[in-house]
Amino acid sequence: MKNLTKQTGKTYWHSLDQLANSDEFKQIVEREFPEGASELNDPVSRRTFLSLMGASVALAGLAGCRRPVEKIIPYVIGQENLVPGIPKFYATTMPLGLENIGVLVENHEGRPTKLEGNPTHPASLGAANSFVQSAILDLYDPDRSQSVLKNGTASNWDNFSAHWRDTYSDFTDSQGEGLAILSEAFASPTLARLKADFIRQFPKARWVTWEPISDEKFYNGVKAATGKIYQPHFQLNEAQVILALDSDFLHTETGAIANTKGFAEGRRVESENDSMNRLYVVEPGFTVTGGMADHRLNLPASQVPAFTLALAHELQNLGLVLPAGIELPVTEFTTDREWIKAVAKDLLAHSGGNLIVAGRRQPAQVHALVLLLNSALGNTGKTIDYCQLKDSELPSTPALTSFVIDMKAGEIDYLVMLGGNPVYNAPADLNFAAALGKVANTVHLSSHVDETSQLANWHIPNTHFLEAWGDATSTEGTRSIIQPQIEPLFGAISAVELLSLLASGKKNNGYDEVQKTWRTILPKANFDKSWRRVLHDGILVSTVKKTTPQISSRRFNNALNTNFKSTPPSITNLEVSLNVSNTSFDGRFSNNGWLQELPDPITKLTWDNAAVINRKTAEALKVTNFDLIEIAVNGRTLLAPVWIMPGQADFTISLALGYGREAAGRIGNGVGVNAYRLRTSDHPYILSEAAITKTNATYELACTQDHHGLDLEKLAADAIQDRLPVLYREATLDEYQQHPNFASEAVEHPPLKSLWDEKVYDEGYQWGMSIDLNTCTGCNACSIACQSENNIPIVGKKEVANGRDMAWIRMDRYFSGPEENPEMVHQPVACQHCENAPCEQVCPVAATVHDAEGLNVMTYNRCVGTRYCANNCPYKVRRFNFFNYTKDTPDIVEMVMNPDVTVRSRGVMEKCSFCIQRISLARIGAKNENCEIRDGEVQSACQQSCPADAIVFGNINDPDSRVSQAKQQNRNYALLGELNTKPRLTYLAKLRNPNPDLVS
Amino acid sequence: MAQIFPKWTNKLPFILAIGTPFILICIIFLIWWFGSPKYTDVGYQPKQPVPYSHKLHAGDLSIDCRYCHTTVETAAIASLPPTQTCMNCHQLILPESKKLLPIRESWSTGKPLEWVRVHKIPDYAYFNHSAHINAGVGCASCHGNVAEMKVVKLVEPLSMGWCIDCHRNPDQHLRPLSEVTNMKWTPPVNQIELAHQYKIERSIQPSEDCSACHR
Repeated sequence: MKNLTKQTGKTYWHSLDQLANSDEFKQIVEREFPEGASELNDPVSRRTFLSLMGASVALAGLAGCRRPVEKIIPYVIGQENLVPGIPKFYATTMPLGLENIGVLVENHEGRPTKLEGNPTHPASLGAANSFVQSAILDLYDPDRSQSVLKNGTASNWDNFSAHWRDTYSDFTDSQGEGLAILSEAFASPTLARLKADFIRQFPKARWVTWEPISDEKFYNGVKAATGKIYQPHFQLNEAQVILALDSDFLHTETGAIANTKGFAEGRRVESENDSMNRLYVVEPGFTVTGGMADHRLNLPASQVPAFTLALAHELQNLGLVLPAGIELPVTEFTTDREWIKAVAKDLLAHSGGNLIVAGRRQPAQVHALVLLLNSALGNTGKTIDYCQLKDSELPSTPALTSFVIDMKAGEIDYLVMLGGNPVYNAPADLNFAAALGKVANTVHLSSHVDETSQLANWHIPNTHFLEAWGDATSTEGTRSIIQPQIEPLFGAISAVELLSLLASGKKNNGYDEVQKTWRTILPKANFDKSWRRVLHDGILVSTVKKTTPQISSRRFNNALNTNFKSTPPSITNLEVSLNVSNTSFDGRFSNNGWLQELPDPITKLTWDNAAVINRKTAEALKVTNFDLIEIAVNGRTLLAPVWIMPGQADFTISLALGYGREAAGRIGNGVGVNAYRLRTSDHPYILSEAAITKTNATYELACTQDHHGLDLEKLAADAIQDRLPVLYREATLDEYQQHPNFASEAVEHPPLKSLWDEKVYDEGYQWGMSIDLNTCTGCNACSIACQSENNIPIVGKKEVANGRDMAWIRMDRYFSGPEENPEMVHQPVACQHCENAPCEQVCPVAATVHDAEGLNVMTYNRCVGTRYCANNCPYKVRRFNFFNYTKDTPDIVEMVMNPDVTVRSRGVMEKCSFCIQRISLARIGAKNENCEIRDGEVQSACQQSCPADAIVFGNINDPDSRVSQAKQQNRNYALLGELNTKPRLTYLAKLRNPNPDLVS
Repeated sequence: MAQIFPKWTNKLPFILAIGTPFILICIIFLIWWFGSPKYTDVGYQPKQPVPYSHKLHAGDLSIDCRYCHTTVETAAIASLPPTQTCMNCHQLILPESKKLLPIRESWSTGKPLEWVRVHKIPDYAYFNHSAHINAGVGCASCHGNVAEMKVVKLVEPLSMGWCIDCHRNPDQHLRPLSEVTNMKWTPPVNQIELAHQYKIERSIQPSEDCSACHR
């Protein structure tokens, strides 16, 4: 600890352990592989291993004598336009609460294997995030529910329909008295129509919509100020100055993919003459958005309303004219004056070209105030558009609260839950499970037999969105169809089919129901043609109706007539801020192994969430990493492990929701702690007056932050800090304008000379990649896209803790600056495809060699697993299969595998191949047509998915290709280029655009 | 004192002296043979569910390969015909034939036929038919003269060494594109010269890189 104080000035560091130069860290540094990664030190398994080896050798001898008989099974009736081995792409839509993201599905002979963004869909624009990329694995989840259950015993859909027909006539007589539906939020024309049908059939029935994570507070704020509900759409590419108030608009908030596209466009710089946007972020703990900030203020979430009010006053003082009749409450926020003044000045200087965004955790008055400020600053219609939500069912916590009271009072006889998992995630003060016990008949539609299904009388298996017909409307009003890619794998029923049965008493086909809706949407003449056009395009092209919210000063003054004061957190009054999980969202992706093993972009933890606090708080509470603490708020307690992170506001605890599932499935059960247990209907995100007690127990967390680190070679730990600025090159816009070649001049080295004559790669295609660190947000979409494309296995928490994680793209995260409020940067590191590859020089069996197109290729069947290559790789990007990770993969999960990529077995090394399967297909396709591969025809999986368009891939032998253009920029640098490895993957240095007024 | 070792143990040193080298030689031979590309099942000729004769269809009746193997020019896999293709003719020709019973059964039940794969390469090698057909490599170069086979037989080893031999020197296997499916084509006298020309016309540069087949 004491070592920390000695180090001053702007240096980069990798983790707090490193900063303190602790013994544990030194131990990691001195090892070639992370601990445990290089030996099989469990004696029992070693013995079992040897006996198994003996047995398998004996069997191999026998089996090897006979050729395995393999069958070829052709179709009975030929499929038109289907060429076996060539995937087809279909457009569909992935629903995620109110957000619907257009996707293209790669379909191999009726088997969907990968999702990509749909370029025509406004919520995707061709990119995807980690949730979209991993949704394909959920389709093949063997833990999904396999049948209708009645009181826990297997039943079927016919039995339920027969049961409902009887109930239907009873409720028809009573007009639905005592009948209720608890639905997830949705935006779907068909579900909206069926809901109207249902209400018409049962006028006295209750309909409640609720969602654990939603923009409810935003809608409340806008409604309070204007009387109507609007959905905002940011034109971030137009904004020169952006202020984010506790908003992770680049990653977990609504519209994050499109936001990232726009933000990256405003951030991208091609030469020192270009300008770039400036981002201010106010937040309690680091988010992906916070990492991109030019100025970041650590502020407890509860202080953000007061901060916003103070900012509004400051803007007013500087001359911002608010509409007549608006009266701002008096501000008592006195801290961070300099900051507020500078931000206000900057915002005013860019009137009409700036944007203020508030996060979904903030109370309604903040959203009302932000709406006002954006409008007064002239941003409406320029950097922010509003439109009214169509076909949408908005969530409401007050409605749920009063509904649960009625449930407990026995007023509800029959409850149908359309999706959702309220027993797990409903506010803890409602005690939903107890209320559910008071309802005589309960039906739950769910993909898994989850916490709620276990308590319901009827469980109905829900389809995955790739299995059933449906439709969706994006938040800006673009309608699209959800078209199935495969028959329901487990005979599941879609929400459309269930709601149709409920409303009509008849079993209707989902396809017919969706078509019925669309007959009213599409022109009557030529319906079939327009329907097929929508299916093909993935969207119904329509004009977005933009509106300008009219702020009523009376309403607004009322809305702001609330308490803006709150006591700042202290050691006796800790503050817990609950956030959406970067990996399991609200818990719906809990059973997804890809996401569970994906390191959190900030904490780098896998397979867990943790109570994130800063060092000051930890020292005050006398706790340290891995300590299990008890968090007590309002009489509710929760045990959680401690994780100390820089950049966390003092005396605040950040805790991710979506963990601690008990009935998620084999992957998700018991992973992390359930933060929903602290949540109440009044305080869903920000809980003050928390207390922490230390228990004597510790908890193992699997963190990847020091694994495979570039800075972990046998160097003195002191030298590491000198080295990091060379690995990650960064400058301010000002410095860049003065020294345009700062990136290439960062390292001084003698002339690079090789020991032997180097091969010249100047013929044919020469593949290369460029990653723009200035636009990369570190969101991990590339990492999951790679996992999906390249059949990368998951290894489990224990193996991750052993340092055996397999991800081909490692997202390195570094901090710089003071520990209290550092800057965070991300650097995706995949195989660099060095022309002078150190790995190739040490492979004793030539399993890794160069091909004519400059790729460092890996031949799995030749690899004997010496791991010399991994030792000699200065970038530490090679991954070794310590076990046969895919051996026990259930058949159903094997369906997700990409047939164009080899599934690796135990004992072979693997690494990024620049998606050689995609290159091969393009090369063969071009040759068959006797032409050249066009620029942009081959996209690597990571590039295709990247919402920031930070990755460019192509032929560097073509001077006009996009990748060549990128590499000609003056910010271009090669990672460890001074080793003369000549990597084909190069980076464009990061820039920050600080406000001169705030630079001391 | 009782005898510790029974009498037969007297012969043990002799048995060991002869047996150990013999067993060792056997092991070495087995590993050498089964591990080498020589062991590749040339001559493999499994029984198929239907006694389909390529000799009759492709030979005597001269039906083009691509009538059934439709995707050979466009995709990695040549593809086997659906039952429907068989029924195109056999609804009228020999509709009562006993040999064709499995075909008719498949057609009426909708259950596909299960053919036994003859030409098999390992899962980690990716062969593409279209690339070879469009370069002018004849079917017969790898599959032999199928038009003479009553039951399909593996005639070439399909080992990596065999692939590489042709990739290094494909001259004898390149034909005019119109002759690709011709089973009786023989290289003309000026084949080397023509092959050189084909290589330029079709930009053929057979790759010897690992990445050409392994991904």
